[in-house]
Amino acid sequence: MRRREVAMVLAMLAVGAAAGGCASMGVQPWERDVLSQPGMTPGEDIVTSALDEHIYFSKEASTGGLGSGGGGCGCN
Amino acid sequence: MAATDGKASLRAALAAACGALGVAGAPAQATEVRTGVLGYTEPGRVSALELVGDAKHTFAGGQAATFRFVYDVLSGSSANGGVPAAAAQTFTSPSGRGSYTTEAGATPLDGTFRDTRFAGSAGMTLPWGRLTSATLGLYGSSEHDYTSLGANAALTREFNRKNTTVTLRAARYEDSVSPEGGAPAALSAMLPATGGGGDDDKLGPDKDDDDNGGDSLAKSVTDLGLSVTQVLGRRTLLTLNYTNSRVAGYQTDPYKLLTVVDPVSGAPRAADAYLFESRPDRRLKHAVAGELLRHLGRDVMTLSYRYFDDDWGVTSHTAELAWRANVAAKQYLQPNVRWYHQTAADFYRRWLVDGQALPEHASADYRLGDMTAMTYGLKYGRTLATGNEVSLRVEYYAQTGESHPAEAFGDLRDLDLFPTVDAWIVNFGYTFGK
Repeated sequence: MRRREVAMVLAMLAVGAAAGGCASMGVQPWERDVLSQPGMTPGEDIVTSALDEHIYFSKEASTGGLGSGGGGCGCN
Repeated sequence: MAATDGKASLRAALAAACGALGVAGAPAQATEVRTGVLGYTEPGRVSALELVGDAKHTFAGGQAATFRFVYDVLSGSSANGGVPAAAAQTFTSPSGRGSYTTEAGATPLDGTFRDTRFAGSAGMTLPWGRLTSATLGLYGSSEHDYTSLGANAALTREFNRKNTTVTLRAARYEDSVSPEGGAPAALSAMLPATGGGGDDDKLGPDKDDDDNGGDSLAKSVTDLGLSVTQVLGRRTLLTLNYTNSRVAGYQTDPYKLLTVVDPVSGAPRAADAYLFESRPDRRLKHAVAGELLRHLGRDVMTLSYRYFDDDWGVTSHTAELAWRANVAAKQYLQPNVRWYHQTAADFYRRWLVDGQALPEHASADYRLGDMTAMTYGLKYGRTLATGNEVSLRVEYYAQTGESHPAEAFGDLRDLDLFPTVDAWIVNFGYTFGK
């Protein structure tokens, strides 16, 4: 199995394990005060994230992860 | 003061609880608009100005429509891939009509780089019951030599009292590349400038004839993604992401060159010293990433890591730390640092050697080479009396690589083959209607 396939399988297993182990985690609805505060939402500043993605997509060979997979730009 | 904080905290808890339980009733209609202006400059190289407007309207039924518009303009100099030499070098500009000269010892930079890009996207999110939503979107962008059309879809489902959110994403882009002067054949020699009354504009709107070449080459991008966001505790949130991107079609940079050097002196060979690069037409990319948000005291720490791997041989690691320090009521300072390291693509060659067989694919584009990049930034944000938000961020970005690789010989030993590329980034943001 090639390295990228190994990486893909490991990634899927990690995400699956994380999802499976999540059933016992979390908070009650009335315990969400801190989670609702500014800065506690993933990808909250979508405009800044988009600008960053464009810079790094143009200057580096990697894409994807927390942002988009990359596409729609002739800058790389 | 403590009593006020306590009441605010109680209100926030009740609001969050109602939202989590879905008992808030019909959501009110609301429109939120985020705008951003970004200035980017690499001293002595490229500069860019980018404007972004992003609007989201939430309807009474819970549906949400989003629109985004991006305009950016770039100009300046970009490394053409050639190695520096002990003597001055002359290159043909991409149009084929003009030329530019690089001084002895300097990194060859194509100073004709100029482009304008428009991009727009629209999306619609539709709730499907209390725990599921679907998002559909369209995308389009246009540059003078590049057009992209895309569509995307996402399905989000919440589990475990809304403590677990799983999202599946898919996107497809159909791109069209129309290199100025036509697409050069893979590893073909750069031809001398034809003159012909043109200028060196690669992209200028004032060009006096057809700069777009006659070729239109296709590229398709298929992205698939899976993300899981999990509430780990009252103050901690974790997101794990996997993205798979499959690219097929023309991926060569039609403006990048490689220098063929003499096997003894390391100087560009006497004839046909510059060849156009060639990249594979297929690429499969994987990225796994995690992001941890942790509320500490009154601050928020964001820690993220990404592992990337593709079948071009590029592997990279990215780590980033941001610390949102809520320094006063409705004001924050957020320093951030990002570290990035990538290995070179299998076909990356800083130069080719005269007399040796040409590889099937080769590129000297430093963005495909071994590289480390650092970003240091500081952001200031505040909420105004109107409820609108304003922010200003300044960042410094630097890319470093092997300036004097061990395999360099002849003249190449004394030349800087990977000068540091640094950039300053200034980003102003304004959000209203929240």
